[in-house]
Amino acid sequence: MPKDKFFKVIENRTHPGEKLVDTHCSYCGMQCGMKLRVDTSTNRIIGVEPRYDWPVTLGKMCPKGVTAYQQTNHDDRLLKPLIRDDRSLRGTKMGFREATWEEAYGLIVRKFQELQSGFGKDSLSVFSGVSMTNEKCYLTGKFARVALQTRYIDYNGRFCMSSAAAGFMRTFGVDRGSTLPWTDLHETDCLFIAGSNTAECHPTSMFRVWEVQNRGGYLIVADPRETPIARRADVHLDLRPGTDLALANCMVNLLIQGGYADREFVEKHTNGFDAMLEVVKQFTPEYTSEITGVAPEKLIRAAEIYGKAPNAVVMFARGIEQQHKGVDNVSAYTNMSLVTGKIGRPKSGVATFTGQGNGQGGREHGQKADALPGYRKIANPKHVEEVCKVWGITPEEMPQPGVSAYEMFGLMQDKTIRGLYLLCSNPAVSAPNLNEVRAALMNLDFMVCCDMFLSESAEFADVVLPTVTWSEDEGTVTNLEGRVIKINKAQEPLGESKPDWEIQVELAERLGRGQYFRHLKTARDINDEFRLASKGGYADYYGATWEKIEEQQGVFWPCRDEADPGTPHMFLDKKFYHPDGKALLCALPYRPPAEEPCGDYPLRLTTGRVVYHYLSGNQTRRIPFLRDMCPEPFVEVHPETAKRYGIAHEEMVRVRTRRGEAEFKVKITEAIRRDTVFVPYHFGHEKSVNLLTIAALDPTSKMPEFKACAAEIEKLTAAPAAQAQEPIKEVIQT
Amino acid sequence: MKQHLYIEMDNCIGCRSCLAACTQCGGHDERNRNYVYDVNPLVNRQTIPLMCLHCVNPACARSCPAQAIQVTPEGAVLSALVEKCIGCQNCTIACPYGIPKFDEEQNLMYKCDLCYDRTKDGIPPMCASVCPTNTLQWLTEDELKAKRESHELGRWTASRLPDDPLVGETNVKISLPGILQGKVKLF
Repeated sequence: MPKDKFFKVIENRTHPGEKLVDTHCSYCGMQCGMKLRVDTSTNRIIGVEPRYDWPVTLGKMCPKGVTAYQQTNHDDRLLKPLIRDDRSLRGTKMGFREATWEEAYGLIVRKFQELQSGFGKDSLSVFSGVSMTNEKCYLTGKFARVALQTRYIDYNGRFCMSSAAAGFMRTFGVDRGSTLPWTDLHETDCLFIAGSNTAECHPTSMFRVWEVQNRGGYLIVADPRETPIARRADVHLDLRPGTDLALANCMVNLLIQGGYADREFVEKHTNGFDAMLEVVKQFTPEYTSEITGVAPEKLIRAAEIYGKAPNAVVMFARGIEQQHKGVDNVSAYTNMSLVTGKIGRPKSGVATFTGQGNGQGGREHGQKADALPGYRKIANPKHVEEVCKVWGITPEEMPQPGVSAYEMFGLMQDKTIRGLYLLCSNPAVSAPNLNEVRAALMNLDFMVCCDMFLSESAEFADVVLPTVTWSEDEGTVTNLEGRVIKINKAQEPLGESKPDWEIQVELAERLGRGQYFRHLKTARDINDEFRLASKGGYADYYGATWEKIEEQQGVFWPCRDEADPGTPHMFLDKKFYHPDGKALLCALPYRPPAEEPCGDYPLRLTTGRVVYHYLSGNQTRRIPFLRDMCPEPFVEVHPETAKRYGIAHEEMVRVRTRRGEAEFKVKITEAIRRDTVFVPYHFGHEKSVNLLTIAALDPTSKMPEFKACAAEIEKLTAAPAAQAQEPIKEVIQT
Repeated sequence: MKQHLYIEMDNCIGCRSCLAACTQCGGHDERNRNYVYDVNPLVNRQTIPLMCLHCVNPACARSCPAQAIQVTPEGAVLSALVEKCIGCQNCTIACPYGIPKFDEEQNLMYKCDLCYDRTKDGIPPMCASVCPTNTLQWLTEDELKAKRESHELGRWTASRLPDDPLVGETNVKISLPGILQGKVKLF
């Protein structure tokens, strides 16, 4: 791999009695390189050193990365299986007793078999996550379909990545989150970043972002909040939450009107231009301004900059994807690249910031309700046949496609699903409309939770199985560039904890399906099988061997065989993955958010991250440095809005929506729109903002609309009757 | 070759990785010795890192009656020596930037030592190693010269008085905020 201008040869500091283990961070899709310091006398992880030679991040880490090692030997780690005999205590932390693995396995197998014999194979479900290795993600899909023989498996990528995936699939015929390597980013001339609080969610991208400006390039940010990256943008498009589709259509319209379209590229390499033009031409700056609230001049300026830039990258994240039209948003922003031909060459393209560590790889290997390894589809008989050959089952044995993550909770409510095997996810915090989701979990006949800590979701379980942290196992993950990288083992599993894959192999044996699993004795065995299972698929990992990953410092997929070095830049041959080799320019009529502000709920609520926490906070809230920096959630309110409600900085208020209410401390800041409030989502129990969010799903990706719903704020201290103010009834418009 | 810690103020996003990294440095007892301040938190959340500036003629060392604060040949101002520090806290009062802190239990001052165990061998200090935004950089003399040509460098001052004895030369260099406003655009 070529080295970029920031690369410096720096030796690491080593201390006596220690060794350094090369690996990557356990958190977001940046997968920053790091070295774990291991005490050689105790074989325990004791600290972290920068990995200066990792070409993507060059030793840089955010505060989560620096302290990530502290979760491995944390006092809260679960060291033995837990069983709860008294089901009346479900939904609390109480009532668990320690058990042996044999007792736990025995109980799980007996309960699973009881449910399946009484209510059919599909009465069981698997809910997984993508903060785990490709090997675990692959095996979880196989475990559900071959060991449990159920159709109901899905994963928390539905809350995170699935809109980007479906959008890319529709536009390009393939879903690789970034069409170019991150080492290109700082060399481009214009970054158009939509719906990404990059500085807090992917901080180690920032030195490349700032370098674009240092070189005289431009930064355009579309975000309702003036986040740290928006603060320094050349143009900040401060749109109303949930109106991205109008903004993207307007950009495409202005690019065409301004003469920035690459007619030759459009003609040769795309379909659908005329239909798209028909839709976007109504999105004039004035009309778009009415919908989005962004001044027309800013829209014109943004399109002009992007259009003039010799090279430009369009980037986006959950801000545009976590909407009930997230897939359309992705395709609409991607249209900007296609119309101008700024794709399929170095320094130009599109990229999405992956939220979860293995958000890319985890969605390619068969954890999705409708997907099989290598991005194959269960609905396609040829794909089923190819995978069955690797798994050693017949196509008739392959379960049908199931339902998406949020829809599974509905099936738990109506008792279609009666048992749940939950791993690497914490839906009791991270799912939308939490009151309903928690009720669904309570309604289960039997629930198993695999986790390294007693998470909020584990409180609903009958059996909790202790799993390892990322540093106690090995395997591969795929970072946000599409680069397959290697996670290395730094310490032996603590207590009796086991890797998820080992638990699944042992459970499969006891469920009478051992013949399909017992050859998988190491993570390497699983890697060999999953590379084979992905061979010939869209996401072809066959040539990405562990040796090649080490040698090349990562391998970009597709990598089809041993001679193939991988594919850092996508579409260099201008061939897209649709049958005719052309990309699709999508015609996408605007739809407003599922819930618009009204008299009772006059504000828009949007959610997101802070730099100190990761996802549901199950890991990061336990780490002292991170907890001290951000111990509780807050609600961001604009000073003028706060004045209307008569609320002060750091005062507690109740935020209400049609689905629930929660109390937060007010943070008054001019960084938010007057018509919008923001709450970070990393907190559990009564502090979870997902008690308020709406479960309106995107029709294609089934991604819930976390980013926009109607809300109201209430002052908690009741005003004396004489001074009581009339509640605000009109929608705040800016 | 002599290297300098250099702070590019505009780049800071307030992530406080530098604080977290400081706790990881050998001998820092998991306590950070650098700070990040919110300039105007209710408005725009601009933040600035504040590290020890490793003054050429440091007020903390000058004020120490026990000569417990050493300045290395490379210019790093070290924490108080355990065997010499008498816990008088003169240094914490003298420093115009509020860097030295006092450990009541050990009766000892502690402060940023520029990760001397790393920097003496040319390895960047932990804060500059991890800084994800290049706010904190570890530059060679040549790189610093190039920065001087493209950026206006400033210096910290603790007083407005022109002849204030607390204003002096520091080994840590800083860029003045707002440098990008005058940047010539590519197109």
